[in-house]
Amino acid sequence: MSPTRKRKAMFAVAYAAMGVAALSLAALFQTFPALPVWAAFAVVAVLIEFHSVEVNDHLFATPTVMLFLAAAVAFGPGSAALGIAAIAAIAPLQRQDFREKRILVPLMNFGQMVLAATIGGFVLEIFLAGVVDWRQSFAWVALGSALASIAYHIVNIGLVNLAVRNIYQQRDIRPWSRMGSILPSMVLMGFIGGLLGAAYHVEEVVLPLVFALFGVGYLAVSSLGQLREAQEATLRGFIKALEAKDLYTRGHTERVAYFAQLIGQELNYRGTRLERVRWAALIHDVGKLAVPRELIRKRGRLDDDEYEALQAHAHVVEDLLAEVDFLRPMVQIASGHHSRFDGTGYGGSGHSHGSVPVEEARILAVADAFDAMTSTRSYRMALSQRFAFEELRRHAGTQFDPEVVEALINAIGKTGERYGSPTMSDEEKARLLAEGRVVADPHV
Amino acid sequence: MSETRDYVQPVVWATAMLAVGFLLLQLTEAALGQVTLAAGILAASTLITVPAVSGNRLSMAFAAATAIAMLVGEGFDTAAAMSSIALGFLLGWLLNQMVGDESLADRATAEFLRQSLGAMLFVFAVVPLETLFASVMPNDLALLGAFIIASTTWFLLETSVWALSVHGRDRLSRRYLFLLAMQDWPVASSLLVVGALFGLAWPTLGWWTLPIAVLPYSFAHVAFKRSHVARVTYGQTIRALARIPEVAGLSPDGHSDRTADLSVAVAQELGMTPDEVENVEFAARMHDIGRITLNEPNIIKIGFTEYDIARWGAEIIAEAPYLVDVAGLVRQQHNPYRRPGEQRDPNLPMASKIIKAASAFDHATRELGFSRLEALEVLHRGAAYDFDPDVVDAVRSVVDD
Repeated sequence: MSPTRKRKAMFAVAYAAMGVAALSLAALFQTFPALPVWAAFAVVAVLIEFHSVEVNDHLFATPTVMLFLAAAVAFGPGSAALGIAAIAAIAPLQRQDFREKRILVPLMNFGQMVLAATIGGFVLEIFLAGVVDWRQSFAWVALGSALASIAYHIVNIGLVNLAVRNIYQQRDIRPWSRMGSILPSMVLMGFIGGLLGAAYHVEEVVLPLVFALFGVGYLAVSSLGQLREAQEATLRGFIKALEAKDLYTRGHTERVAYFAQLIGQELNYRGTRLERVRWAALIHDVGKLAVPRELIRKRGRLDDDEYEALQAHAHVVEDLLAEVDFLRPMVQIASGHHSRFDGTGYGGSGHSHGSVPVEEARILAVADAFDAMTSTRSYRMALSQRFAFEELRRHAGTQFDPEVVEALINAIGKTGERYGSPTMSDEEKARLLAEGRVVADPHV
Repeated sequence: MSETRDYVQPVVWATAMLAVGFLLLQLTEAALGQVTLAAGILAASTLITVPAVSGNRLSMAFAAATAIAMLVGEGFDTAAAMSSIALGFLLGWLLNQMVGDESLADRATAEFLRQSLGAMLFVFAVVPLETLFASVMPNDLALLGAFIIASTTWFLLETSVWALSVHGRDRLSRRYLFLLAMQDWPVASSLLVVGALFGLAWPTLGWWTLPIAVLPYSFAHVAFKRSHVARVTYGQTIRALARIPEVAGLSPDGHSDRTADLSVAVAQELGMTPDEVENVEFAARMHDIGRITLNEPNIIKIGFTEYDIARWGAEIIAEAPYLVDVAGLVRQQHNPYRRPGEQRDPNLPMASKIIKAASAFDHATRELGFSRLEALEVLHRGAAYDFDPDVVDAVRSVVDD
């Protein structure tokens, strides 16, 4: 058994035990809600989890908690926590896990969801206890539900991050950094959940209609997710086709996208801005599809005509992809990736002679150059990472933005990954020595 | 044609105004206040629209009218509901004429007439339906049942009447238009449901109905809007990528767009459904994408065949899991309808046969400099061997128009 799997099993057992404990505790203090009502909510919850879609969108991030809290309020004081803990116990049963015979992840999810639901339920219970007339207490219940939603998420995110950090030994995850951005949707979801639950006590027919509304909305969100995935998959397919033209650039785009993302994160890019850099990196070489193959593969220097043809690809990228509204900002960035920090170089609309390119383009330039140096090309072998760093630093201030270069070096240092040739060639060493840079460790 | 419309429109609206005036006269003063409020809300709601799959935009008026219909019996009688709807749509139409796009004004008029009539039918139907259901089930459920039946009927009627009225403007069949509009059911049903929610909850919950109905709906609304943007983006992406071989000089300029346009028209002519037509469009746009594997335009002369290009293209497209079907269509784009002396392949997709013919037609007219008639003659000579005779017929009737 690998150490990762061992740690995973440990966490799964511990979380599951906590889940069972929470469930028993709730059962001790509370009565089970009316079965038909509970069953209705449970079915909807399982359906939602079954069809869970990955949508990179804060607004649609947390629909489950709304359902949990609507259910808790509908179950009423005395059964709120137990009712939703019982739903949370069955909701993590995912079709995929059955198919792939996974047990540890569902166990872990069972534990953390039950615990989060129980704690959220008891927070809500404090507010529900005083309710006499539902019609008069809408605001009160909604407030309690919003707080319960926050409690649910703190437990939920805390436990998930604890497990991920320890199992995969990733120390640099900042678990609460996303809290701020999802807090509004968390509160809103809790608020709506509370209102719906309270409305159910006054007018039962509200609930099926709201479920129908959410069902349709959910379909729209999942088709949105599919469309976005389709969009990305299609572009990736074409990028693969591009790279198939030249063995040496295979994987180049993906790596540049990865480096650009690392740099972006290091420079505190978030959300859309980070996505934009990543997308720009993904499309930065699509123009090569329009460049004759011998030119890309050519050994040695290109003559002036050939160089011009290669440069023209910056414009081709632009004309073509700028027709896609969504890609227009990325195209601007991508077409500036041959611009230099001091304002020289070439490029399309992202390049303006004599002025500093936008930061995103500077990131792309560094990521592109780093991968070009650390991978084997038709005209030379891969250079070592250390040499590539030195080279980037040497050209910082002229070709590259010094801040971006340092960001890349820091980010790669943090991941502990190594790129390029494991040893320096004699030529590299000689060059560094000649420039008066002492090679500290000849084996690096 | 437009002269008749110029004359019909004022007559219709004058009649409508007279009818509304007559309805309003029947009301008490208290009801008049309610009607003004309801009509005002309905009129304002016609200004908010949601983009749907078919490309049409559905207005919030569906929700507002449903809410009014569901309030009948709750301090709102049938006459008041009818006048609210009539007055509301009338005001809404005027508002749209003031702020709306002029080119849409004509279409909007038909839409308003259709929707106000549909909403009135809804009001008429909902009370008898509720009484019918109430004899076998509790009141709340009866109202819910009445809503489901009445709203489904309304949506189907709206869709059919739209298909009939648009038919003839384009060369699309009634069935195609009906299926196209049916794709809008998620948007339509969310509008109808939020309206019902409002109408049902308002009497007991009062102002709390606002957040309870509006918040859940707003999620759906945002999702619909973003889906629309994503759909448009996806179409643009495909179009841009499909043009790569043209930009690289590997394929004649505009060939993919023209082939796609002709293929779509032929597919519609052959009675394919909107979903199938979309696949045809994507496949036709990207049918020459395999050429990006070539580096020189004249490489075909030295050993590669069209079949190789089709295969390479299919491999590229199949990288995107959502386009596996499209990849299959592209792979088979050069397969002949029937080889001499052989049985024809019954599994050859219609879409591939369409693309083969459309691409050949464009090649003949643009590259070989043939006239349309000569190009059609090329297709006719290949009919039953290279080309499917049905497809050739469809190409002819599309091109003839």
